[in-house]
Amino acid sequence: MTERGGEEMSERQFIIPIGPQHPALKEPESFYFTVDGEVIVDVEPRIGYNHRGIEKAMESRTYIQNLYIVERVCGICSNAHQTAYTGAVEEVAGIEIPERAKYIRVLMHELERIHSHLLWLGVAAHEIGFDTLFYYVWRDRELVMDLLEEISGNRVNYAMATIGGVRRDINKDNFTRWNKVLDTLAERTNYYIRVASTEKTILDRAVGVGYLSKSDMIRLSGCGPNARSSGVPCDIRAISPYLLYDEIPFEHIYVDNGDVLGQVLVRVLETLEATKICKWVLKNIPEGEIATKFNPMSKVPEGEAVYLVEAQRGELIHYTISNGSNMPYRHKIRAPTLANIPSLVERLKGGYIADIPIVLAGIDPCFSCTDRMVFYDEGKDKSWSWNEEQLRRYSLEWHEK
Amino acid sequence: MSLLETTIQTLIFPGLLFILSYALFSQWILRKAAARLQNRIGPLHTGWKGILQPLADFIKLLVKEDITPAAADKTVFDYSPLIIFALPLAATFLIPIQSITNLWGFNPVASFEGDLIMVLFLMSIIVLAIFLGGWGSGNPYGAIGATRVALMMLAYEIPLGLVAISPAILAQSLSIRKIVDWQVSSFNAFLSGPSLQGIVLAGVLSIGFGIYIVCLLAELELRPFDMSEAETEIVHGWQVEYSGKKLALLNAGHDIKMVLAASLLTSLFLGGPSGPLLPPIVWYIVKTTFCVLVLSNLSVLFARLRIDQLVSGAWKYLVPLAVLQVMAIVSMAGVI
Repeated sequence: MTERGGEEMSERQFIIPIGPQHPALKEPESFYFTVDGEVIVDVEPRIGYNHRGIEKAMESRTYIQNLYIVERVCGICSNAHQTAYTGAVEEVAGIEIPERAKYIRVLMHELERIHSHLLWLGVAAHEIGFDTLFYYVWRDRELVMDLLEEISGNRVNYAMATIGGVRRDINKDNFTRWNKVLDTLAERTNYYIRVASTEKTILDRAVGVGYLSKSDMIRLSGCGPNARSSGVPCDIRAISPYLLYDEIPFEHIYVDNGDVLGQVLVRVLETLEATKICKWVLKNIPEGEIATKFNPMSKVPEGEAVYLVEAQRGELIHYTISNGSNMPYRHKIRAPTLANIPSLVERLKGGYIADIPIVLAGIDPCFSCTDRMVFYDEGKDKSWSWNEEQLRRYSLEWHEK
Repeated sequence: MSLLETTIQTLIFPGLLFILSYALFSQWILRKAAARLQNRIGPLHTGWKGILQPLADFIKLLVKEDITPAAADKTVFDYSPLIIFALPLAATFLIPIQSITNLWGFNPVASFEGDLIMVLFLMSIIVLAIFLGGWGSGNPYGAIGATRVALMMLAYEIPLGLVAISPAILAQSLSIRKIVDWQVSSFNAFLSGPSLQGIVLAGVLSIGFGIYIVCLLAELELRPFDMSEAETEIVHGWQVEYSGKKLALLNAGHDIKMVLAASLLTSLFLGGPSGPLLPPIVWYIVKTTFCVLVLSNLSVLFARLRIDQLVSGAWKYLVPLAVLQVMAIVSMAGVI
């Protein structure tokens, strides 16, 4: 990162700060834009405003308690985090989950994807000032929210997965009604695909905006819909299947537009695929147990595991180390937004100020997933992290000064 | 005209009080119509179907704390809301609405040869006041919003003026009152003996009406041309630092500007406040409300454009179209 106000800045250029509080950002995060008139020359992201010490907190709680902490890493992709966490722990503990539980997990995973992508589409429409589309999309999103609430009892933070399976069963009496809801959703999504690819003012604001080529995207190792919009086939569900994704027939969606329109298309097409996957699950779900027994106090054998999940925003990595106790020795979460920030910076450069909101929103950033706290001393080239107690002491000392 | 009559006309009807309440009513119409089109409900609780909500908002803002930023240019910051409020109000005095002595007559509060130019001039001065107000607020977002307002004026000012001139050419007068009179008499003549020329003329004028509406959308900073206040980009642009009384004045000024725009559309293209059976005031309200509905309908249909797209679009399409329209009008009127 270049230093702010460095020597290279000419007199015509000035810096506008976007964030930590700004209407274009739904979460606190800061970006310093060096602009030349209306054109962006350089971007310096500053992450870390939303650090909550979740990874550290997980180390002092049991595996079952952590289920609920890990879900609260993020409000939108809570189920994806839980899927990845339970998957990693089950791998270390050597637990095989029942078939029916896998189906229910996939169902939740895909319903959450529908809700998240529709939410994103609404936000994107709002960012380009198309509030009418925003209201329509969010109205239709209520359908899937109601469905999620009916299945799990909650609109967000579903608490469905547990170690060894899922916590709630679904009743097949409701399947016809749910199928109808999914049909309506698919129909509405088709309508939005048509709107997004034909409406003149949307195209004006989306085509060619925030362009990044396929080779640049691979070089900057983006992930998720962000990378797939530049033509990189990187859906974890297709290239490294987990749960049931090797059995489910679904299309691996990627487009080579490389701009905001590509991001819109990838997400609406994925929403459509997700409704199909949900219908497939409802059709093929077997009868049986929903969970294998896992004693909350039981110890997990020594070992480590990595579990990759395709969250709505991209590749989500959970890495857990067990030292044989009933708490994880270390649990590391790599959220997709962190991987997408370098490509985001590249997308922003050379664009207009007016395009900042939509390009920022384009990667569907989730900074509460992303923020970590690590100290880095540039002079000595070493880094370290603090635990909760050290951080508390530091804050007390700082305020006494 | 006696002094009493002038006083009533200026302060009560159809002057200050009427225009202010009608401006708040138009805001309600705009909000309610936009809300219904966007599948929302809109204002609901204050008064019948929320009809008093704009007034409640206005009073609420009047009593709120008024903050002047340290970086602001105090004089400019204090006076530009007043100017933005007062100028459109002054311009509405030139619009024929309703005479208070004669139920069927419609006289503007003030009228003189060339008041059309005066209205257009006042509308440009408002933009200048907005620019100064945004620039003087000492905020980077305010400055960006202010420059965008000025850039937008470059885009819509020329076609706006050109199209406003075409009815004036036909009426051979620059007085809004006389333009309305010409429309009434030629419409009556058309009704008594329809002619092909009349239909063609109406067609050409309706192109002008379309161009005028597009320009007014930009003038009123409504979507798709609200880039000067785009809240997701520059946090309400030039208005960002205004609060309390000043914001109340700015909002009221915007509403009056909307009434002025609708009145201009009505006076220049829709035959002003004249109509059969009912007194002019009723026709005035019906026609301007129709114009407000058209504006609100258009403003929910689109996404916000970028400033460069507006400027290049205006000079590529709007200006040539406006010039062609005026040329057609001139050749038909046989003025050359």
